[in-house]
Amino acid sequence: MILRFEGVSYSYPGVDTPALDGLDLTVHPGESALVAGSSGSGKSTFCRACIGLVPHFHHGKFAGRVLVDGRDTRRHPVCELFRHAGLVFQNPDAQLFNQTVEAELTYGLESLGMAPSEIEKRLAWAGNLTELDSLMERPPHTLSGGEKQRVALGAILTLRPRLLLLDEPFTHLDPEGTEALRRILRTLKSEGITLIIVEHKLHSIIDDVDRLIVFHQGKIVAEGSPRQVLAGEISAYGLNLPPLSQLFRAFGLNRTVFNVDEAIEELKTQDLLRSFSTRLSDQMTKPSNRFTAVPHPIVEAEDLSFNYEGHSVLRGVRLKLHKGECVALLGRNGAGKTTLIKHLNGLLKPHRGFMRILGRDTRKTPVSELSRHVGFVWQNPNDQLFRPTVREEVLTGAKIFHPYDPVWCDELFNRFGLLPLLDRSPFSLSEGQKKRVSFAAALAAKPDLIVLDEPTAGQDELFRSELTGFLARLRQEARTIALVTHDLEFAAEHANRWLVLSEGQMIADGPPDEVMADSTVMAKAGLRPTQRFQLTQAIKHLGEEN
Amino acid sequence: MATVLLMTFSHWIALALSLGILIIIVLFLHLVRPWLKFLENLGFACLTFFIIAWLAFDLITGIVSGLRLLTIGTAFFLFFQTTPPNRLSNGLLKMGLPYPFAFVLSASMQFVPVLIRRARNIRDAQRARGIPIEGALGTLLHLPALAGPLLIQAFKFADELAEAMEARGFGISGRSFRYELRFRWIDWVAVAISFTALTIVLSIQFF
Repeated sequence: MILRFEGVSYSYPGVDTPALDGLDLTVHPGESALVAGSSGSGKSTFCRACIGLVPHFHHGKFAGRVLVDGRDTRRHPVCELFRHAGLVFQNPDAQLFNQTVEAELTYGLESLGMAPSEIEKRLAWAGNLTELDSLMERPPHTLSGGEKQRVALGAILTLRPRLLLLDEPFTHLDPEGTEALRRILRTLKSEGITLIIVEHKLHSIIDDVDRLIVFHQGKIVAEGSPRQVLAGEISAYGLNLPPLSQLFRAFGLNRTVFNVDEAIEELKTQDLLRSFSTRLSDQMTKPSNRFTAVPHPIVEAEDLSFNYEGHSVLRGVRLKLHKGECVALLGRNGAGKTTLIKHLNGLLKPHRGFMRILGRDTRKTPVSELSRHVGFVWQNPNDQLFRPTVREEVLTGAKIFHPYDPVWCDELFNRFGLLPLLDRSPFSLSEGQKKRVSFAAALAAKPDLIVLDEPTAGQDELFRSELTGFLARLRQEARTIALVTHDLEFAAEHANRWLVLSEGQMIADGPPDEVMADSTVMAKAGLRPTQRFQLTQAIKHLGEEN
Repeated sequence: MATVLLMTFSHWIALALSLGILIIIVLFLHLVRPWLKFLENLGFACLTFFIIAWLAFDLITGIVSGLRLLTIGTAFFLFFQTTPPNRLSNGLLKMGLPYPFAFVLSASMQFVPVLIRRARNIRDAQRARGIPIEGALGTLLHLPALAGPLLIQAFKFADELAEAMEARGFGISGRSFRYELRFRWIDWVAVAISFTALTIVLSIQFF
């Protein structure tokens, strides 16, 4: 075995509840395991325990024994363990600390005092595998998120650890980046490296792993082959199940299916194709997804162009948002999505063309005036928290705009479950709670338009289902919602219209099904239709054949 | 070396001449564009310095002070443009500086752009909820909204960074370096020329 946990319990210093609570686990060489569980279930702590950062770096109360490649982590410091077990951390920025990609990849080898010829050999191997050859001389901070992730992975791979751990590696990747990482991981698996991948979104990787391990409150509550585990009762553990499995469950089918072919096969054997397809199309036309536009748009942009440092980021974008609709903005990382949403409150001003919010030209209206009508919920709530209590945090924006409505703010506290937290410091909250605070803060001034930047990234199923409720309320109140997301399943479920950006141009604008049916657009934007859509299409094809 | 030299020059012709030489080096190394960008910031300081010295003393002192700041700034600019931080820290290591110190020196420059980007994100997030962090006065009035999240993030970042470094053998002894810096003959020549120039100038100035 390569990794063994024997009755491991651990609590961080000054915290009473244990982060790990009596873990027993054996991982064999060459296995690949997916570790899943809701936020705070102990997944990240588990990763840190595998490479000795727990207990050596974090201290705290540690009991039991962890063996990595036969070495007891209590007796060996991190600097002796790191060549046996490598961990790619969650935040790519905070693990790149060299001047060039090349220096980053060789750092660990230099730590080991390795001979230059061996360093060159490993550098070539890892550089090639992670597709970084052309970036070797670049400073890491100038790279895109996906590239940084690959550098962080390459920096660990040069060490050729027998055990490789990745902590939520798919969070910030677009669909193409996700596919590229999966490709690399499959190669590593074929080379016999043991893989442990921590992830909320099961369907990013579940097809490729041998084993699924479910964490809940610091304990392992389920484990086995992915099918075995998913067939069991796991709804209490906050897992984001693969979309087809969810669909089958919702229709009362017990079989666990991961891809469209399996689903078709299963429906055929049970002779359910027709009834399943009727129910699918019924769902598609559910009232929340229907939307009839009123004549006057609240956001209007024509021929909008924007340049940054000599590059054109947006080119001739045309955009209209109507009152009460929910629009998803999709595309690759770097396609211009963030640049476009920053035009919605004048943080950025168009270099050509115009953007009007409720009739006001953003070039002539100050941001502070526009932000009264446009609320933003950013991906990272830590970018805005600075007040001593949750209450003040939520009211900060609202109090700047007079008059502020205390009844409405009380309603928000209630809606986002903040009542028990009002006097606490926002910094002491969990990430999911912080996200709810930033949501409430964005709504405090009663904006007409609310912009959500990657609302599901890094969030567990618990928050996802809460989010569904929040969005439903906003639509009842006829507020307009703009979503920026890589999560197409989420976008298909909530948005009545998809806008697709590619290289700064708007290449599609229409209902989700229409956009997904256009394979040229999808390929150009690096997107893949949702599994539900693929299934519907496959069933339709079968029907036509017969 | 150049700095000492430039500090001793008190005549505007000598300073103008040095500036000329430095500009030739800038042109030679194809660094005109970054240098002009650098001047956007330094130029303002030089101008202020010039005006203050002119008003306080006389025109010549003003010119000398302005030029001196400009030449010293350009010399520093050239040094940092031609010496990557890792070379600098490797050089310092060779001089006997302990590894952690040399690392901090090169790493701290590395994280400036990362933190600037975070600060921008924070400013955007705060402006988006109506806090008018605009212009110098707005930034000053609403400093906590900017500095609070930035400090918290910087601390968290430092913690995560320390973990990542530990996990790649930062604390281990017996580190090797892929690029070993050696003092070659050309470096000795450079040192010899600089020393001669310095001696000549000093003797002209003081004797």
